[in-house]
Amino acid sequence: MLCLKAAEQVLRKNPNHADTQAMKALIISNQGQQKEAFALAKTALNNNMKSHVCWHVYGLLYRAEKNFDESIKAYKFALRLDPESAPIQRDLAHLQIQMRDFQGYIQSRRNMLQQKPGFRQNWTALAVAHHLAGNLEDAENVLTTYEDTLKQKPTRADMEHWEAILYKNYIIAESGDYEKALEHLDAVGKKSPDVLGVMEMRADYLLKLGRKADAADAYAALLDRNPDDSAYYDKLISAKGFAEGDEAAMKEIYEIWSTKFPRSDVPRRRPLDFLSGDAFRDAADSYLQRMLRKGVPSTFANIKHLYLDRSKLEIIQELVERYLKEDVQPQMNGSAESSSEDEASRFHCSALYFLAQHHNFHMSRDLSKALKYIDEALQIDQKSVDFHQTKARTLKYFGAIPEAMEIVEKARSLDERDRAINTKCAKYQLRNDQNEKALDTMSKFTRNETAGGPLGDLHDMQCIWYLTEDGQSYLRQRRLGLALKRLHAAFNVFDIWQEDQFDFHNFSLRKGMIRAYIDMLRWEDRLRDHPFYTKVAVSAVSAYILLHDSPDLVHGPIPNGVNGVGQDAQANAAERKKAVKKAKKEQQKLEKVEADKKEALRTSKSAPKATDGEVQKDDPDPFGKALVETKEPLQDAMKFLTPLLDLNPESIKAQCVGFEVYIRRRKYLLALKCLLALHAIDPQNPTLHVQSYNLSKILNNDPNRASSKLAQIISTEGKTLLPEDNKLVEWNNNFLNHHRSSTSHIQAGLRVRALIGKEAKATNEKDLLEALLLDTTSMEEASDGLELLNEWGSPKEVKERYRSSAAERWSRASIFQAKQIEIQ
Amino acid sequence: MVDIVPLSSYPSNIHLLPSVQTCNITNLPENYFLKYYLYHALTWPQLSFVAIVRGNKPEKYPKVVGYVLAKMEEEPTDGIQHGHITSLSVMRTHRRLGIAERLMRLSQRAMAEVFNASYVSLHVRQSNVAALRLYRDTLGFEVEKVESKYYADGEDAYAMKMDLTAMQIKDVPEADGEDADEGGEVGSMGKKGDDGKGGKENKEGKEKMIKVKVGRGLGVGDLVERNESTKS
Repeated sequence: MLCLKAAEQVLRKNPNHADTQAMKALIISNQGQQKEAFALAKTALNNNMKSHVCWHVYGLLYRAEKNFDESIKAYKFALRLDPESAPIQRDLAHLQIQMRDFQGYIQSRRNMLQQKPGFRQNWTALAVAHHLAGNLEDAENVLTTYEDTLKQKPTRADMEHWEAILYKNYIIAESGDYEKALEHLDAVGKKSPDVLGVMEMRADYLLKLGRKADAADAYAALLDRNPDDSAYYDKLISAKGFAEGDEAAMKEIYEIWSTKFPRSDVPRRRPLDFLSGDAFRDAADSYLQRMLRKGVPSTFANIKHLYLDRSKLEIIQELVERYLKEDVQPQMNGSAESSSEDEASRFHCSALYFLAQHHNFHMSRDLSKALKYIDEALQIDQKSVDFHQTKARTLKYFGAIPEAMEIVEKARSLDERDRAINTKCAKYQLRNDQNEKALDTMSKFTRNETAGGPLGDLHDMQCIWYLTEDGQSYLRQRRLGLALKRLHAAFNVFDIWQEDQFDFHNFSLRKGMIRAYIDMLRWEDRLRDHPFYTKVAVSAVSAYILLHDSPDLVHGPIPNGVNGVGQDAQANAAERKKAVKKAKKEQQKLEKVEADKKEALRTSKSAPKATDGEVQKDDPDPFGKALVETKEPLQDAMKFLTPLLDLNPESIKAQCVGFEVYIRRRKYLLALKCLLALHAIDPQNPTLHVQSYNLSKILNNDPNRASSKLAQIISTEGKTLLPEDNKLVEWNNNFLNHHRSSTSHIQAGLRVRALIGKEAKATNEKDLLEALLLDTTSMEEASDGLELLNEWGSPKEVKERYRSSAAERWSRASIFQAKQIEIQ
Repeated sequence: MVDIVPLSSYPSNIHLLPSVQTCNITNLPENYFLKYYLYHALTWPQLSFVAIVRGNKPEKYPKVVGYVLAKMEEEPTDGIQHGHITSLSVMRTHRRLGIAERLMRLSQRAMAEVFNASYVSLHVRQSNVAALRLYRDTLGFEVEKVESKYYADGEDAYAMKMDLTAMQIKDVPEADGEDADEGGEVGSMGKKGDDGKGGKENKEGKEKMIKVKVGRGLGVGDLVERNESTKS
């Protein structure tokens, strides 16, 4: 404030003083007046184009707006006018590394080093610049040059020194010269305070160099520090060079550390991975008894990965079933402290719980059995949160979503201070599309006094899972404004995470922890390959595709199938009109409720204040209207899609939604690219079949096909995938014949058959119903079939027949219950 | 099976940070911005560890089922170098496998070895019986005092500490220079530097650092897995 007054005072006397105008612009920009700040900074520049202050401020304003390219340009102008300015040079350097302009960063760092060669961090920084640019040798040389100037031996407490030493070693290793790296490490590593780090690096180099005996010793030493990392055992065993399948030798290794660390789980659990036959049975028996007698609730979660081997699955089931039936004598190592009766009861209960989870698991699923076991367990302990939660999961797999939610709500009430079960509860509520209820549940652990309330806190705390699940729930409900609102919020969290690295360009050099800093930069470069991002992006892109296909959804949730087409077009058009009107009305009602809430909050005395001193603004658009009212949904989808396809191309879902966006945008080459990628991941994918048809149909309908270069390229590139024009029916029948036992494939084939349009609709419907009756049909596939009938605009009787047939089979599933369907 | 690996030391698992943050907000009431995790990971990379489930085929993003986030006290009021546990949590699905204990021991050892910590401190909710049992009975912490209304919801905390001097490395011969622990200016070129400005830079930096750290007023809470026994 004082600064602002001072600036204004100067300006009163000298209204066109450019530097002062620039300073004022900077001040008001910090106060949040970006527009005014920019206008003033421009005026300042007009008054004095040759002022480095004006250009520096201009750069800072762009920086605040995250327009980094323009900011860099402005800094460069400033620096040209004042080449010796350290602050300008520093600001420029930080932006260059943020933008990964390595060559520019090298130049900046070189200048900074020349200006202040006395600071070690300036040397390290230049090495970092070279390292990131790929000049490993230069990086190493810079570090060595500085080391050579050291007159005294640094103390052990000089973290910056020892880290710089290990950083150099890290660069040498990265060049692939492990011999040299090892030699260097052996020379300097002993005094490094980072004992574990040095041991890890050394073991790694030894193994890579094939020095097996030394590597084995090195990993044994690491295991003595941490017996709970299976990767150490793997490397130790690989260094030992046991004969393939020498189970006994491997088992011996694990026994060393299970004896040394009786409380450690990995050395006990791991042998179950490689043992087989009777050896496996014995080991599994003793492991399971030990865990279940202790009543360890995570036993199942800890062994379920073994089920990939069918025989192990069966042995385990057999063992635990036996624990229930027979009076299994406790082993000698059973604890003596508790009475044997207590232990027997705990053992019994743990076995029931284990079997319930076992039968919930997709590879050994038998939901009726799961329910039976968990109900038995619940009879013994009615207050167990875990048992209730497992029962809820069984119900969820049954498709009984509302009942599952109720049980998990019960579980939550049994331990209201445990956030884990509270979180689970909110998740089940979201899966049941009870968004408000879920938020209420979350609010029991959020800070609610801040301006945005619980939802604001979840945004602040970057609660990605909640934003994603809430968004997906709204997408299911076809409330696209809110869906996009949440998914954009989740997207923004990733932007914040990317921005977070900025402060560390300076901070880490000061702290000297360079290896961690480099690892962080590399992680940031691939930040969005995280599965969290994939989920967010796939959902958002799907929402935009839906919005593009059904623009009516801008008004609110209009059920699928009410789209003005179908067999009775006229009646449907009227229905559509009605639905739109209803949706609009409901939207207005919701907005009113929200506005009233806000008003009540404003007038009440307990209006929340921002506690952190940040300016908390009201969200002017809590329903995401601005997002959903877009004129170009497919264009907007690109923001999500581009990083998704760049960083996670191996995701099936990513390629599927990518295709759908590109084909609608008439970017056929890009659509083909997705198709080919999908084919490479999963050549039998049912969606691939439908999409291949769609693309080829567009090409075949192109009147300029013969002369179109694009069409030629696509035909050539897509030759293996795309059906020939005159063989469509045959191609599709082949597909149907080939996949007679897979419902999702049959659905894809029928979808294409309907698109070709040569078969009667009734036949398609009949075949779809037949596919439903296949033994292997999953509940999800059954529900997809229902969607397909909606898409076809099939008559009510057909849908009803399908529904009742599904409801008979999945009698607990809420999606097939008459009440649910009626809405549509 | 649960493996325990370093968070941001060698080999780096810093890409697991978003999952660590999710693990925290799933289980505990004290939550932080990702930047606060980054601040730990990049200032004391050796002190934090993650518990992961690798599954059958190794994936880049294994499931994170627990973590310990730890630091050194930057301005110890007693003048003694010591570590502090910022946050510790294990997913409900993976409790009672001894993960929290192992995470704690690894972190404690690193505090003593790398940063010469004499002791480690932490806060725990008075109601958190399972955590108390772990700290006091299994690991050997002692209650130092009660901090009244330490948590945002008004609950008191036990401030606990544990001696680490036995794990400190003492037998390494110290370098001859005594005044050499001044960080950046060890080299012979140190004297040429513009000292005044350097000092200022550091001061600015400190303020900035605090900004990173505060993140949010809400406590530097430490909690641990609770509810070990489902039967009361």
